[in-house]
Amino acid sequence: MTMPRPYTLLAEVTYRCPLHCPYCSNPIALPVAASLPATPKFHEGGCETTRRPQDGDYSNGELTTDEWKRVIREAAALGVLQIGFSGGEPLARRDLAELVRAAREANLYTNLITSGIGLGDDRVRDLRDAGLDSVQLSFQSDQPDLSDEIAGALAHQRKLDVAAKIRAAEIPLSLNFVIHRRNIDRLSQMIELAESLEAERVELANVQFYGWAFLNRAALLPTYDQVARAREVAIAAKARLAGTMEIFYVLPDYYESRPKPCLNGWGRRYLTVNPIGDVLPCPTASSAIPDLHFENVRARNLDWIWRESESFTRFRGTDWMPEPCRSCPQREIDFGGCRCQAALLTGNATNTDPVCEFSPNRAIVDAILRDINSNDAARDWTYRVNPKELAVSS
Amino acid sequence: MFMTTNPISDAVRPRIAKGVRLQMDSATGKTVLLFPEGIVELNQTAQEILSRCDGRTLSEIVHDLAEEYDADPATLAADVRETLADLHERRLLEIA
Repeated sequence: MTMPRPYTLLAEVTYRCPLHCPYCSNPIALPVAASLPATPKFHEGGCETTRRPQDGDYSNGELTTDEWKRVIREAAALGVLQIGFSGGEPLARRDLAELVRAAREANLYTNLITSGIGLGDDRVRDLRDAGLDSVQLSFQSDQPDLSDEIAGALAHQRKLDVAAKIRAAEIPLSLNFVIHRRNIDRLSQMIELAESLEAERVELANVQFYGWAFLNRAALLPTYDQVARAREVAIAAKARLAGTMEIFYVLPDYYESRPKPCLNGWGRRYLTVNPIGDVLPCPTASSAIPDLHFENVRARNLDWIWRESESFTRFRGTDWMPEPCRSCPQREIDFGGCRCQAALLTGNATNTDPVCEFSPNRAIVDAILRDINSNDAARDWTYRVNPKELAVSS
Repeated sequence: MFMTTNPISDAVRPRIAKGVRLQMDSATGKTVLLFPEGIVELNQTAQEILSRCDGRTLSEIVHDLAEEYDADPATLAADVRETLADLHERRLLEIA
């Protein structure tokens, strides 16, 4: 197999966030603690020691401005063409415009993935002047009350104001809605909101069950009837708005019979750097696959991590696959599905994604669906909280 | 086909859509379109067409390509329309 090159870097610049959405994919456990094995772990490079930084500006463990700039340059040298600034809420970093500028200087397409909270006029101008290519603004629904309830904060009206500021600055705008049991019946109204805000693009992403969403799955998973209706709405809206607004509908994979081609293959197109500098093949890998050892940009350069590290090579290509993936004609199309989902649902990241109808573990997913569809009463969820070891945005 | 229902006029001036960037991929030497969470690698034909979507009209683009490649303008026009319609539908190109 020839060595693939990454196209996209997801820069999770902070885990701090003013919202508390129960479907957040961030890890529930403390990220600093999670990255430090309780006992020293041995690998090719010798004994892994703790790597808590000594830096004064980001004493909460986050990478510094200069460290992020180096990561951006190393990513561009590896072939990366696109960077998504994400989190947490990336606006919690005061140096965000400086990082955007560094990414543009490295010729990357820059996308800000944000709740919008904290995006005042000055910062919109700074980001535009830094060369920001696009903003992806999240909404929780089209209704203020429901939205604020989901976010666990008074956010909806502020987001509407932010959308207007982004429009006024002529920065291209995408809207993102995470879809789940409490808002899926309002899909058409959410699309209308995106139209009224003149978004170029709207992403309607059914919730995927990692991090906080995995914890809150019973409250978030929609019913079969809801999913079937939403699919019709999405298809009709896509046809109606072709050429006006791009609609990207992410299917709820538990209801599918074949797994999603997660990341288009492990270690093939994407890499994620988290707030403390751990490099992940997938943003949810650190919490879903705890036995995988992740490298840190403070100790290694990205090129080595991408090519050589255990975490990136473990599931790259098809050699690692068990049956039924190994002999499946789809193996280079869906890549066995999602490693994190296999780990979370079956306890073994090497298994076929249990969403697949050929997985010997499909019964696990079917049992979850039976439970939801036999009793669709509303269930409580647990709101996301900021990791205690990281300073909360002031 | 789109042409029977919604023909693209010769007078339109197609432009790369807002938020979409046309760029050389230094790793491959090929031209790519970059947009939020997406990358499209262009084939030779699409690259030749898009590099001319700079305010020229459709008929000017076809004329320029026909001269450069010594090709039949009628055949070329159909190819160009098809490429533009495809990119327009994906909102990567504005046709006005």
